[in-house]
Amino acid sequence: MDERVLELIRRKKRLLIPNLAIIFLFYFMLPLSLIFYPDFMNKKSFVTGVTWAWLYAFLQLPFVWFMVWLYHVKAKQFDRRMEETIQEELP
Amino acid sequence: MNLTYFLFFICIIVCTLIITYWAAKRSNTTNRFYVASGSLTGFQNGMAIAGDFISAASFLGIVGMIAINGYDGFLYSIGFLVSYLVVLYLVAEPVHRLGKYSLGDVICSRFPSNKMRWIMAFGAFAISILYMIPQLVASGFLLRLLLNIDYSISVIIIGGLMTIYVVFGGMVATSWVQIVKTVVLMSGTFLLSLIVFSNFNWNVPSLVERVKELTPLGDAFFLPGHLFGNPIEFFSLQLALVLGTAGLPHILMRLFTVRNTLEVRRSLISSTWIIGLFYLMTLVLGLGTVALLGYQTLIANDPTGNLAAPLLAKEVGGDFLLAFVSAIAFTTIVAVVAGLVISATTAFSHDIFHHILKRGKSTEKEQLRAARWTALGIGLISTLFALRLETINVTFLVSMTFIVAAASNFPILVLTIYWKRFTQMGAITGMVSGLVASLLLVILGPHIMNPDGGWIAREAIIPIQNPGIIAIPIGFLGAYLGTIFSKKQRQSNEEFKRFFIQSQTGIASRRGEP
Repeated sequence: MDERVLELIRRKKRLLIPNLAIIFLFYFMLPLSLIFYPDFMNKKSFVTGVTWAWLYAFLQLPFVWFMVWLYHVKAKQFDRRMEETIQEELP
Repeated sequence: MNLTYFLFFICIIVCTLIITYWAAKRSNTTNRFYVASGSLTGFQNGMAIAGDFISAASFLGIVGMIAINGYDGFLYSIGFLVSYLVVLYLVAEPVHRLGKYSLGDVICSRFPSNKMRWIMAFGAFAISILYMIPQLVASGFLLRLLLNIDYSISVIIIGGLMTIYVVFGGMVATSWVQIVKTVVLMSGTFLLSLIVFSNFNWNVPSLVERVKELTPLGDAFFLPGHLFGNPIEFFSLQLALVLGTAGLPHILMRLFTVRNTLEVRRSLISSTWIIGLFYLMTLVLGLGTVALLGYQTLIANDPTGNLAAPLLAKEVGGDFLLAFVSAIAFTTIVAVVAGLVISATTAFSHDIFHHILKRGKSTEKEQLRAARWTALGIGLISTLFALRLETINVTFLVSMTFIVAAASNFPILVLTIYWKRFTQMGAITGMVSGLVASLLLVILGPHIMNPDGGWIAREAIIPIQNPGIIAIPIGFLGAYLGTIFSKKQRQSNEEFKRFFIQSQTGIASRRGEP
């Protein structure tokens, strides 16, 4: 039974590690882009009156809400599969 | 103090004391006292997390920072918000599954020993106290400014209230005070934001234009770079903000107050929504302060900018709204310090008294008595400290807390949960090196060593205001070195597997199985 459980955990990890990388990348790109490309970030973006710097900063909010929701959905699937595995393995 | 203020304050004090009375009748077991026996729903706990997290520094400080520095002030809030993703993805569920009441429980579920518990308890205790004292000092100044009452009386009122909540009502009272605070804070800032918008006929561009006219920065107000000139400082602060929350004991403790991991996730979903929306509104309030009040008026009243929100309230709603916003600020402070008192209490009475001194054998009644006396002691001692520190600037300790947490608790938690070869020695060296490095960097840094009014009037040895970028790697490095020099302590694959399955699924050890 341990092996099947471990395999499930490995699958969950394979899903979550890329997401975690995206989180750090998306977050740290904001300060880094402000440090290295200030001129570009201060240009007007495609939204009227909003510069890229503001647009990127605002995008962090829906990004957080989306990533939290995504984790919730994945974790629910994982919990269900785990429940099934335990049921099957029980004598 | 006029009658409006008085009524608002009495109303809040009476409401929270009624909650405490109701909670006191229910806090009759240790499980109830420390974690409200996991009885909160996800949404309630999410509100309590937001109430625990949004300090007066967020509410008053960020509005002021945006009003003075524009764009860069807003970046602070982004870091605070994204840190919840780190909590959720890395530590939330394992912490809930492994721990009972404290972070010490979590780490000791893998490395059970008194040494480990001492260090975790000391870390949690130090972080909570370091965070609590500046909040108390700031609250004293705030109430003095807003209500014209003496500094010592304000500190004694807030210190007394937080002690009463925790001593009598434990976690149940603390949680509900925090929930009430979130409701009051969110509705107040929402109301104030609506008033700001309505003053500009709901026309955002005209608000922006007005801001540009009234700030000395002009167009540049909306461009980055006014607060963080030095790229290293900037990056270092962002790093500490995003990793810090996952090491704050008073926030992680709130993951024990729900029933299961589904509710843990629900808590974090609701808290990120509340905190995110709150920071959007602080942006509106910051812009509104400049547009309706003007930079000069703000600075003339308070050069730090901390009074931006109350001044804005007075400008648009007169004395009544000012009284309301002051009451919100007051609730904000008591809710946060109560959360800190209970986390310091748990570290002492659960980890040190019950597990170490009594070897886990004290009775339910003894534990409860110890917890209440500890809470009383902590409340008294920190109030006394805050009274003595009136003349010393301690506000920098608030941002320091995030650095200390990110350099000590965060590495240990992540490595304990995920690294197979991690050893107890590694956990101890990591914790100690993270704590020592971050505190030492602060002492040798410009907050304390400053020819211009610092505690030590000399040039700073390490001239960096936000030493997270040095301290956090030192915490990880300490843990790594401790681990490779203690290979003998390494756990067998079987042992780690058992722990890992428990942390990831909650399936408890099956030692007896063939």
